[in-house]
Amino acid sequence: MRRPFFSTFLFIVAALSADAQPSFEAPAPSATPVLDASLRRAAYLRRVDEVLDWAAGGGNARTDDPARLDLAMIAARIVRGQDLPGCSQRVIDLMREPGTGPFWMFPSVCIAYLGRDRLSPEALASIRTAWRTTRQMRGDTENHFVMYYLSLYLMAELYPDEPAESWYTGKSSAENLAEARAFILHWIDVTTTLGQAEFNPTHYIGEYVIPLQFLANWSRDPAMRQRGRMMLDWLFAELAANTLRGVLRGPNSRTDEGSVIERWNAMASYFSWLLFGHTPPTAGYSGWGLYFAPLAKNYEVPEVIYRIATDRRSDILQRDRARVRRFWRYSDELSPAVHKTNYLRKDYAVGSTRGGRIDPLQSHVWDVTWAEADPRGKHNTLFSLHPHSASEIIQASFVFYPEPMIKGVTFEGKPSYDSPDKVMGSSPYEQVFQDLDTVIALYDIPAGTRFPHINGFFSKDLTDVTEHASGWIFARGGNAFLAYRPLAAYHWIKYLHYTSGWAKTRLDLGGRLLTSPHLRNGTIVQAATADEFPDFAAFQAAITALPLTFALDPTPTVAMTTLRGRALRFTYGQTPVVDGRAVDYGRWKLFEGPHLNAEIGGRRLTLTHGKLERVLDLNTLTITDRVNEVAAGP
Amino acid sequence: MPLSRPALLLLGLLAPATFAAGATAYDFYLCANLNRNYTIGAKVAAHNGVYQQADGGWRHVGYNDGTLTAVAFDPRDRNVVYTSALNGLWRSLDGGRLWRNCNDWDMTEARDVALDPNAPDHVYLALPDGIAVSTDRGQTLVRREHGLPLRGKYTQVLHVDRTRAGRVFAGCETGIYLTEDGAQRWRRVLATRDTVYDLQQSPHDPRLWLAATHGAGLQRSVDNGLTWTQVATAPATHPLYNVTFDVTRPERLALGSWSLGVLTSEDGGQTWISRTAGLPAPQHVWRVGVDPSGRLYASVATQTLFVSADFGRTWQPDTIAAAQVNKFVLVPRRTP
Repeated sequence: MRRPFFSTFLFIVAALSADAQPSFEAPAPSATPVLDASLRRAAYLRRVDEVLDWAAGGGNARTDDPARLDLAMIAARIVRGQDLPGCSQRVIDLMREPGTGPFWMFPSVCIAYLGRDRLSPEALASIRTAWRTTRQMRGDTENHFVMYYLSLYLMAELYPDEPAESWYTGKSSAENLAEARAFILHWIDVTTTLGQAEFNPTHYIGEYVIPLQFLANWSRDPAMRQRGRMMLDWLFAELAANTLRGVLRGPNSRTDEGSVIERWNAMASYFSWLLFGHTPPTAGYSGWGLYFAPLAKNYEVPEVIYRIATDRRSDILQRDRARVRRFWRYSDELSPAVHKTNYLRKDYAVGSTRGGRIDPLQSHVWDVTWAEADPRGKHNTLFSLHPHSASEIIQASFVFYPEPMIKGVTFEGKPSYDSPDKVMGSSPYEQVFQDLDTVIALYDIPAGTRFPHINGFFSKDLTDVTEHASGWIFARGGNAFLAYRPLAAYHWIKYLHYTSGWAKTRLDLGGRLLTSPHLRNGTIVQAATADEFPDFAAFQAAITALPLTFALDPTPTVAMTTLRGRALRFTYGQTPVVDGRAVDYGRWKLFEGPHLNAEIGGRRLTLTHGKLERVLDLNTLTITDRVNEVAAGP
Repeated sequence: MPLSRPALLLLGLLAPATFAAGATAYDFYLCANLNRNYTIGAKVAAHNGVYQQADGGWRHVGYNDGTLTAVAFDPRDRNVVYTSALNGLWRSLDGGRLWRNCNDWDMTEARDVALDPNAPDHVYLALPDGIAVSTDRGQTLVRREHGLPLRGKYTQVLHVDRTRAGRVFAGCETGIYLTEDGAQRWRRVLATRDTVYDLQQSPHDPRLWLAATHGAGLQRSVDNGLTWTQVATAPATHPLYNVTFDVTRPERLALGSWSLGVLTSEDGGQTWISRTAGLPAPQHVWRVGVDPSGRLYASVATQTLFVSADFGRTWQPDTIAAAQVNKFVLVPRRTP
């Protein structure tokens, strides 16, 4: 059997960098929860040390030459107390050419604080000078703003009472502090009342939790430290509730070309590994992830979050709200609501938003993802989408001129944006309804739309793919049985893989795209655990026996009964109906499910697992842990 | 330090950088991003920002910022400088040595800045979600959007009527809006289905205004912006990014367009000629400008800045390489 390219690549990497990243190269870790708190903590600390060892050892550079160290490596060396004079000199050298935005700001803050009593005065002064001389760009996304203002806040606290001319902003320390604090409070408020705009990001979770961890540790203000701690719990709880064996699946506000397919290959997996230990870490600990390590030992993973992440004995149905990132124009709303549905089972998970416009470039609307004991190199997902590409959609969120937009974004980490065979992105012409483990995606694409077809992703890792006479396509993914029903004629094309958003070339790793060139279109997917049926044939028989009617003209519409016995009726442009009752999205809470619950506008998240409960109340800045006598679940 | 200027020397384009017409003389500035494919956080490799035409070349002014969209000067004191940028509004009171980011976190990605020449403490800032105004030289900024729609107030351009204090035009997603009381109230004077990208008041006749739009072609007003009509002879097939007058010749106009390149008119807009030949393919143009001596400039995507001494008939590369010019600005010199 041909060795998948990724496996070959992994092998080569491992051979070249023996002892470099033990957990990356080792067999996949056990998914069995560690119930003993002291053992769990010890394992967590070992993982933190693994990261620090790797970074202090020169990271990818594998060098002791201080002249080749970046700020992450220096941070680890400061923690280790290793070659501090060399670190000081390297900081001075690096500060001669500072970066120009939040991705430089938070690393420099990290060094400024870690090095307070470790680095030379000249090194610390070089950082401070850079914060005077080099204008820092605030960026144009929510994660940019969070990194920018958390960094500015901490630097203003570190250097209080300094005059306006000593900062690139031209504002005094007090003014910088006040502006940064106002944004931080605003972001926390909107996130805990209406949800995140960058919800469930495969990579950008690091851009939030790393500077929040700095805040939680270094702020002089106890209330801000507490906010930092609470938001770490908030975001990690979301991660825990949306992962399958540590792998974050769709939907995602923002993802990238690689991780939308190879679901594990994302910074979110690094955090799952670090916090919960049940999936392998990513290569290089996802780069930015290194900045979490220096303070990671100060974070205690709450047991309730750990249990939520690692326990999939019971099915989880979670319905949550989030926000679309700001639409400056071409929209009646600045930041429309997002309704997310997640249904997680032991062997697979189904997740979706309702489709439509979300993030203009990087959103992922729905998928079925199955569990893999070792997710590395696995394309363990199934979904369809309309590959929409339009400058107006991008312009809605960006302040640029129309014609250069599309080509421009292909140079900025979104290489497939204008490709007809792309597998990432939302479309205004896609509407999705999910009920438990059934998804109906309908498409009504206006004539003249660029890329007038839909793509269905069929992984190289599916087995027993069967195009059944009934019109269903059956397949197995891991221990899940999958049924995919295209509603219009289709043909197959080869799937070519970008390993990341910055990949220059596409790789033929296997897999196919089901391409259906019909404007009115649709996909139905149902999933089940193999354990539910005597065999694959029984699953197929069960699916084909279910009542199903659909029409595409004049408007795509589906009426069906699901494997779970629910009668669904969904018509494009209309509210879906379940067992005769229309879904009332207006009543959805911020979080609602067995583990995460919060009211819209509440600023209060209740985390529950079995007898364990933790309440994060941003109104009172309190964290309350309880052990309930009557358990709500496992 | 001035940039090298061999190209200009070769062209013999060493005419003074100012033009005196009647009592008005001008200085010429541009705002440029010289970093191709810059992404947030990257090191800035070139000197971006404001350049002033000087000594036959360009002199960098102020901060290195690749996100500047416009620059404005206080007519009473040229050392008081405002720039609109990704971070919002930046102001310098000392000729560009020290800068202050004037806005709070809730104003971002500023598209344009305009100063009222008859009330120079008043600064107007175009934002993707509206308009902010300062009445104290940028020290404080407040939103003044009464009369703008709740949605559709994406503002790309602001232009202050030089003849009357407090009279300002805003080019927005849904049309052109006018205030005559310093942004206390706005009213729409032209409805469009998409963004108005540029607004210009004729340096020769203050009643004459032109507007470049996304989908409504070139719009003209001859009654000081109260009513607008589409210029039928100008193309409306593609977005027009900007329009410029020529301070030396009232009948000369130029349009910049990504898809159409450079178009000029030498009869006040009655006829238009493509002047794209001679620019490097694919001839996508960010912006055109005319300097105080009548030389036409074109900022060509992924290319250097180009200059024409014969209003677009022939082009030569300028000394600023790889520049995306976001704005050309003519600044009247203060009359002694």
